[in-house]
Amino acid sequence: MPGELSRAAAIVGAAEANEIGYPEKNKTALQLHIEAIKNVSDQTGIPISRIDGIFSAGWSSELAEHLGLHPKYIDTTSVGGCSFEMHVHHALAAIHAGIIDVALVSHGESGWSSRNIGGRGSGRGGPGGDPWALGTQFSSAYGLSGAPSNYSHAMTRHNHRFGTTPSDFAHIAVVTREWATLNPRAVMHSKETHPFGGPITVDEVNNARLVAWPLTLLHCCLVTDHGGAVLITNPEIARGLKTKPVWIAGAGENMSHSNMLEMEDFTATSAAASSAAAYKMAGMGPEDMEMAMIYDSFTVTAGITAEMLGLAKRGEGFTLWKDGHARPGGRLPINTNGGGLSFNHSGMYGMQLLVEAYRQLSGTAEDNNFSGLKGKQTKARSCIVNGTGGSLSTTGTLVLVAD
Amino acid sequence: MAYNKPIPEPSPLTQPFWDGAKAGKLVLPRCTNCNRVHWYPRYLCPFCHSADLEWFEASGEGRVHTFAVQHRAFGGWAEEAPFVTAYIDLNEGDRMLTVLRGVDPKSPDLSWVGARVRVEFEPASEDVHIPFWRVVQA
Repeated sequence: MPGELSRAAAIVGAAEANEIGYPEKNKTALQLHIEAIKNVSDQTGIPISRIDGIFSAGWSSELAEHLGLHPKYIDTTSVGGCSFEMHVHHALAAIHAGIIDVALVSHGESGWSSRNIGGRGSGRGGPGGDPWALGTQFSSAYGLSGAPSNYSHAMTRHNHRFGTTPSDFAHIAVVTREWATLNPRAVMHSKETHPFGGPITVDEVNNARLVAWPLTLLHCCLVTDHGGAVLITNPEIARGLKTKPVWIAGAGENMSHSNMLEMEDFTATSAAASSAAAYKMAGMGPEDMEMAMIYDSFTVTAGITAEMLGLAKRGEGFTLWKDGHARPGGRLPINTNGGGLSFNHSGMYGMQLLVEAYRQLSGTAEDNNFSGLKGKQTKARSCIVNGTGGSLSTTGTLVLVAD
Repeated sequence: MAYNKPIPEPSPLTQPFWDGAKAGKLVLPRCTNCNRVHWYPRYLCPFCHSADLEWFEASGEGRVHTFAVQHRAFGGWAEEAPFVTAYIDLNEGDRMLTVLRGVDPKSPDLSWVGARVRVEFEPASEDVHIPFWRVVQA
């Protein structure tokens, strides 16, 4: 008997770029992608604007941005030449689950052209990468380097639009540090773990060295090492294990841009859309969340995201920390591991969020001096987890609930 | 003194922009189907997905959308820190990044948001002149 996914979706069109093989004029990988996408849209009559899931071997956020799309499902699985067959598999599951209606699987690779032009147009990023990449041409020339140089612009705009101040956001750093003092593995746990560890004040945040005004050093996350992993399984297997299950009640994802040049509203992220999807799947809302794990690359990231998740009104995200709700013992504990600001931030902090959310909801957040000291375990039975990627670009939200 | 900061390398897609810059003109892409201006340059209009795009000479005027002061930078920019970076709302629509001129990085002021700016071009090499935006009297 066929499985549940069998025939749940169909491939309805297939096309190629205008010139392939050895094009007369050298092409960029992006150009090959876009030509093929335009052609398959024309062939099927499905407008590009109806694509709500993007699957490509590493290119998904660039493609979505180039096309001005805000996809609900983003897959960049890149494991070699078989990636595209896997994309179809993943698209099948996503369509069957009702997450998306139209999946785009796209490929563009200038294997010939880029060899003729010294790697140009290949789309490979980073130092020594593709000098034709649009970010390299139109952003790197202006001295931006690293996340603080970008995120600082969001704080300025938030301050301008809502009348907030860097001091308001400093409370996020102070409260997050308080949580770190309950986590022995936090880099900033105490003077024993770091010369500048232990509790901090708003004044100390304000007066720290400027990295990118209005962000001082203490508005910024750490740079550390980290390794983490989670296992996910079906209810039947989950019931037979020695560990407690934490249920995935809701999930959603979205993106607004890749390069900050394309960020329409510097005070908003796609977490509004990704959390709306997660809440809807869960049949729950912000009022049902008893704690939150919010990506805090910077204080401004956490403050804005709290607003996007519906935990606070627009312009007032910081009040959750300033008014003490996010603190140990508060009504909505946030970032109970000490956050990217004071616990650990390795570059991509989303795994740290998951590990702590699991510990909290499985009741293991202070079972010993490893995962937390007395006072770290909350009573929360539900947790919203939101990861942010890029330059406030991409968001993934989960609603997790205790067994 | 030779220009010591990163110099963009024009690509076939962006060549008309850099040709304009060399001539001291801000040349932007526009869709002939929906008539909207977009930045950065695209193969398809990001608003209506038409491939019928053209280049036109823009006013070179805009306003500061938001800004920051960079105290940490690398390469040639490190010598210039602190400097102000800003996103500019173009009069014709959409947004560009710049290092903002005509302001004092040592005393940043929120009132710079919304300030009127005008583009100018700095020769970084014989072929590449880089646009920078300068605050004009509000």
